[in-house]
Amino acid sequence: MSVTTSLPAPAHVQRRAGRGRVGGSQRAGYVFVAAYFVLLLLFGVAPTVYALYLALTTEGGRWTGLHNFIATGRDFRFLPAFEHIAVYLVIWLVALVVLVLFLALMLHGAVVRQTVPFFRFLFYIPGALAGSASVLVWLFILDPPISPWHFVLSVFHDSNLGQTIAPGHLPFIFAMIAFWTGAGGWIVVMNGALNNISLEVIDSAKIDGANAWQLAVRVKLPLIKRWVVFMLILAFAAGTQLFVEPQLVGAASLGMVSVTWSPNQLAYYLATQSANFNYAAAISVDLLVVGLMAAALLVFRSKMFEIE
Amino acid sequence: MREKPISRSRARRLWGTLTAVGVAALVVATGAGTSSAAVHPQASQSSLTIWVDAARVPQVKAYEKAFPKVKVNLVTFDAGANGSGSIESKVALFNRVGHGWPDIVFSAEANDVQKLGVAPFNFPAVLNTDGLLPNGLLRNYAAGANNPCYIGGKLECLRNDMAFDVLWVNVPLMKQFGYTVPSTWQQWQAIGENLATKHPGFIIGTLGNSYDDAIYLQAAQCHMNDLISPTTLLDNPADPNCTNMGALLDPLLKDGSVPAANVFGSTFGKTYAGKVLMMVGPAWYGGAIFQSNSSLNSPKGTIATYPPLSWNGGRAWTGDVGGGLWIMSSHTSQPKLAASALVWLATSTGSQSLSQGYPGYVPAAKVWIAAQDASGYYASPLAPTFAIAASEVWTGWAETPWDVFGIWASTATPNLVAGQSVSSQLAGVGAAFSNYAQSAGYQVVAKS
Repeated sequence: MSVTTSLPAPAHVQRRAGRGRVGGSQRAGYVFVAAYFVLLLLFGVAPTVYALYLALTTEGGRWTGLHNFIATGRDFRFLPAFEHIAVYLVIWLVALVVLVLFLALMLHGAVVRQTVPFFRFLFYIPGALAGSASVLVWLFILDPPISPWHFVLSVFHDSNLGQTIAPGHLPFIFAMIAFWTGAGGWIVVMNGALNNISLEVIDSAKIDGANAWQLAVRVKLPLIKRWVVFMLILAFAAGTQLFVEPQLVGAASLGMVSVTWSPNQLAYYLATQSANFNYAAAISVDLLVVGLMAAALLVFRSKMFEIE
Repeated sequence: MREKPISRSRARRLWGTLTAVGVAALVVATGAGTSSAAVHPQASQSSLTIWVDAARVPQVKAYEKAFPKVKVNLVTFDAGANGSGSIESKVALFNRVGHGWPDIVFSAEANDVQKLGVAPFNFPAVLNTDGLLPNGLLRNYAAGANNPCYIGGKLECLRNDMAFDVLWVNVPLMKQFGYTVPSTWQQWQAIGENLATKHPGFIIGTLGNSYDDAIYLQAAQCHMNDLISPTTLLDNPADPNCTNMGALLDPLLKDGSVPAANVFGSTFGKTYAGKVLMMVGPAWYGGAIFQSNSSLNSPKGTIATYPPLSWNGGRAWTGDVGGGLWIMSSHTSQPKLAASALVWLATSTGSQSLSQGYPGYVPAAKVWIAAQDASGYYASPLAPTFAIAASEVWTGWAETPWDVFGIWASTATPNLVAGQSVSSQLAGVGAAFSNYAQSAGYQVVAKS
């Protein structure tokens, strides 16, 4: 077998070639990112800076240091909201990692190759529904008298919506909705990552006698580790910001889910019902810090950005 | 794979730009924040912006027709129904930017003025000053009808409709089963227990709604949400008035004669059509539940109302579930015009004959109820019962900035649905009221 893959040019050659075209390529690069950069500034950076400013000041704009953080931390709704979200995150992240990887590896190792596009499409479909629309679909599924799956609900002795959405069930229900709407996209992404693994690596593992299980766990998984970390970072951030699910299930059940079930709902409540934008900003910043800390932990532990 | 790192100097330049733009954004953002004090004059003379829910649109259309010279900018929204808080969220934003307030707003939540009338909202105009209201107008309101509108001595809205609870009865079914209509809660309970053994599946009330606290606890004179001073809440879930009502309801919830069902649930009509022997509920149940095609759809001539139940033959009191409020903005540029429109919408026969609920303004209420009774739908006239019930609303269950219905729905209802007793929920609900009251700056006491 002749090796036809061209190896990358030595670093010094690349650099010299690059330097020759610096002016032009740089300008083109800026033009390409400019539109995104402007939107990022307007709708990403500016609101974040504004939230930080609000979180550290009073209604009248006076500096208060950490007062807003301490006051919201002592609010009687603060701890329950974070407890709810912690239980939800454990369920949702474990389910996401285990099931997404399982399904993606199954798809990649599929014996009948022709079925792969079909299943990939099937997994992806629910994710194509917009977030709130998919919650509405779930409201029908969860209401036993009108649910097409009432026989499944009856196994859990749920005969009306109130029983299905009992407080203890909520983290599981929200995790189920999140998985159903979000996991399909990640399965496709993981499938793409697995497809990137060089066939030579897989072939040599097979020649060395690796069975399907060993191939999946010892060879494929380590090679897509960074994608898993990437998924975890985004899923964690999205999970801590849970809002639409409890808000809509609460509205549909005529108030049986607290309007401050999740921290994001509490922030929304404080902003809109107490007109306390400073407290709301403090909770938003709490969520930002939690998300950044989780991301930093994952990035450093997994050495995600380290260059091999 | 090898990536080319960004050169140090380029990274520094990038951060420089980022910081500069960030600071600029901050300046713009804070600039917008400080302008909140300024009041921008609204539109030209003789034009009013009025916000109402779909049910109140006919009343505003009637106003437009009666006053063609006033240009009305009609906006429909949910009126804050079911504790959505939409008026508060809009006003919070308008206050921040310093413009955008409507001249008149209809609220479907009876406690909205208690929220909107204090800092940081300070939205409603005070009506009982400057001769804004015609003389004698308030005297024509039913006793206590405008209680939700008062903050201290300041009147900050006018009541649209009343929502006192009465006893709804299926007359032919009562005769068929051989019961007499109860006048006390104890008689009502005895019928429930008998019904559960003799006619299982039939009901005398429900316990799955957010406002059940106002139906049962308020009628029992339970001191769990009683404002004994403008800043002091009496909240005592161990009050015998509360625990006695809990004990009265517990067996009925258990035997199914008062199930934990929500009258607005997806299958209430299907499950209970023809099975409601009695129901303690607000004045608007007639149209919304009994007469409605999508709910019980009770046949003509079967439903009648009876006065509120008493506790063991004592003075009868009743609860109050909502009832809309007409609010005028303190930011309106034409207070005289807005006030005259507000008065017309809230009290004129032209507007109130189109009201969905029993008008709080007595002259309008007489016309309204006569029309209802003329329809011949009810087995006996509503007028006598409603006249009694309107004056029996117990005022010890206060309208407060916190949403007592929302708190009951998220604290007690899930547990009632799961089979727990009413008695076991009182402490938790009382604690929630106390938490909300304290965080709103109220002092909470367990004894008056």
